[in-house]
Amino acid sequence: MDSAMMLEARGVSKFFGGVKAVDEVSIGVREGSIHAVIGPNGAGKTTFFNTLSGFYFPDSGRVTYRGSEITRLANWKRIVLGMGRTFQTPSVFAELTVRENVMLGVRARAGVAFRLRPPAGEERETLEHRVDELLGFVNLGRSKERLVAELSHGGQRLCEIAMSLSTEPSLVLLDEPMAGLAETETDRIITVIRDLRQRLGLTVLFVEHNMRVVLSLAERITVLDRGKVLAEGTPSEIAANEIVRDAYLGKEALDHV
Amino acid sequence: MKARAELIAGIVVVAILAAGPYLSPLIHVDLSIVSEVLVTALAVMSVNLLLGYTGLPAFGNAAYFGLGAYGAALSAKYLHVDFIGAVIIGTASALLGGLILAPFLLRRRGIYFGLLSIAFGQVFYFVAYRFTDVTGGEDGMNFPRPLVLGHYAINETTFFYVALAAFVGCLIAFRTVVRSPFGRTLVAIRQNEARVRYLGLNTDRFIFVALLISATLAGLGGALFGLLINFAYPLELDWHQSGFFVLMMILGGAGTVWGSLVGSFIYVIGKDIISTQTSYWQLYLGGLFVACVLAFPRGILGTLLARLNARPAAADSEPHG
Ligand SMILES: Nc1ncnc2c1ncn2[C@@H]1O[C@H](COP(=O)(O)OP(=O)(O)O)[C@@H](O)[C@H]1O
Ligand SMILES: [Mg+2]
Repeated sequence: MDSAMMLEARGVSKFFGGVKAVDEVSIGVREGSIHAVIGPNGAGKTTFFNTLSGFYFPDSGRVTYRGSEITRLANWKRIVLGMGRTFQTPSVFAELTVRENVMLGVRARAGVAFRLRPPAGEERETLEHRVDELLGFVNLGRSKERLVAELSHGGQRLCEIAMSLSTEPSLVLLDEPMAGLAETETDRIITVIRDLRQRLGLTVLFVEHNMRVVLSLAERITVLDRGKVLAEGTPSEIAANEIVRDAYLGKEALDHV
Repeated sequence: MKARAELIAGIVVVAILAAGPYLSPLIHVDLSIVSEVLVTALAVMSVNLLLGYTGLPAFGNAAYFGLGAYGAALSAKYLHVDFIGAVIIGTASALLGGLILAPFLLRRRGIYFGLLSIAFGQVFYFVAYRFTDVTGGEDGMNFPRPLVLGHYAINETTFFYVALAAFVGCLIAFRTVVRSPFGRTLVAIRQNEARVRYLGLNTDRFIFVALLISATLAGLGGALFGLLINFAYPLELDWHQSGFFVLMMILGGAGTVWGSLVGSFIYVIGKDIISTQTSYWQLYLGGLFVACVLAFPRGILGTLLARLNARPAAADSEPHG
């Protein structure tokens, strides 16, 4: 097993009844890289993320994290190990404030979530400071006391990213972090994803439709189609790949890259 | 500011309750009925913790309530324990029941949790119903109220203050639990359990502890109820009884600390007053319930607090930290 591999999947499959949502997919995500998974709607990208993050277990295949097998490890234990994820539809606590959302993760990480006594004094300040830090990172400091339900779609995405960072992961899985966002919000998320690696040193695996974003952000791209890996390579390799062009991207989309 | 307002309101409510022996004759309600309000509120709180805060349909909490009542009754009658012993054994029986059921309930969610809770409750119901020799079966069993330490008799007034002390103690404990990091995590589980797990928390562990706290609270309520009426009967364990607890929780305000008292007060006092006026009391009580739900969609206290705070649910306002 390559020690520089943060996350590896070998021959992972997941079936829903007769549907092979993910069919013998293998992937290797290098430590410190930004890796994209692309593919048309229904290609199995979300299902694949779900098997990687333990939302459910694959029907066959193996998943390893930093060299240890996690194929059937409970999802919450993967977070403790250092994985984090966001969902295609932002998964947040809509009825809580932005601060409370992030605080839940900060407390979990600090090991105080199970306590009956609220943190006080210095400990409380440390936790509050950490929340501020995370909100500052995603640029949500000003919305701290707002209910998440009141935020824009992009704001909810950022809040979810801050929440998934609150557990101090080494690897984050982002499922379509830019879907349904306005152009300005998209730029904000692109900056955040770059910062994830540059400022925090994280490894990022993300699903994205927007080719401009993928080609500018990712160092490696895996193309999924009908549950199978169609191609894998660097952005220039993928942009030049005939099969990918024919099957998914459409020649026009890549001609001006 | 808000905490101070709550403290003052709480003190006023407890002071009014403490004057119960003087006030209850004014509204022609027996003091034992006010005691019943207090001990019932404990069972409603137990449902509130699971359903109102954690989002688990606790449709079988009468099982723990009944275990509390039978635990107290059987230990008083056959083991001749004193009053305190009966309360402890009753409560411990419910906790034991919770320990036995929790592993089965732990992984169920939604309707499956609700149905399994009902099913387990009915098992206890049939046991109490069938073991006629010990439990008196359908007729129930009466027993003399045991003395404290074998010496001091507990009259209705003393009992009322015992119930009030138990209620205040449990309310403070309940409030501490729901406002703690543990309690905030329960609220988060209600809203989005998957996300809580993806924060690295084993939600089953939280639910396990919530179940045990709930069983203990309901058990204490049941033990005191048994000792209040000096009687234990199978219907205490029945799913109808569980339903009444849920009803009272909704009436008062799911996910609010004081809602359980409000719900239990209206239901128990309402039932007492209406049932002395008419034999169709269930119809009127049902009407009262429907009217309350229409006027107060989040329960009486839940709706009032939401208006005061202009925040969606009182359960979700969190102290800093
Ligand atoms: N929970 C599920 N139950 C049944 N079918 C599913 C489920 N999740 C996904 N699928 C199916 O699996 C295929 C892949 O879906 P998905 O992973 O969501 O694709 P993508 O994220 O690439 O758009 C689709 O055909 C979808 O209908
Ligand atoms: Mg998807």
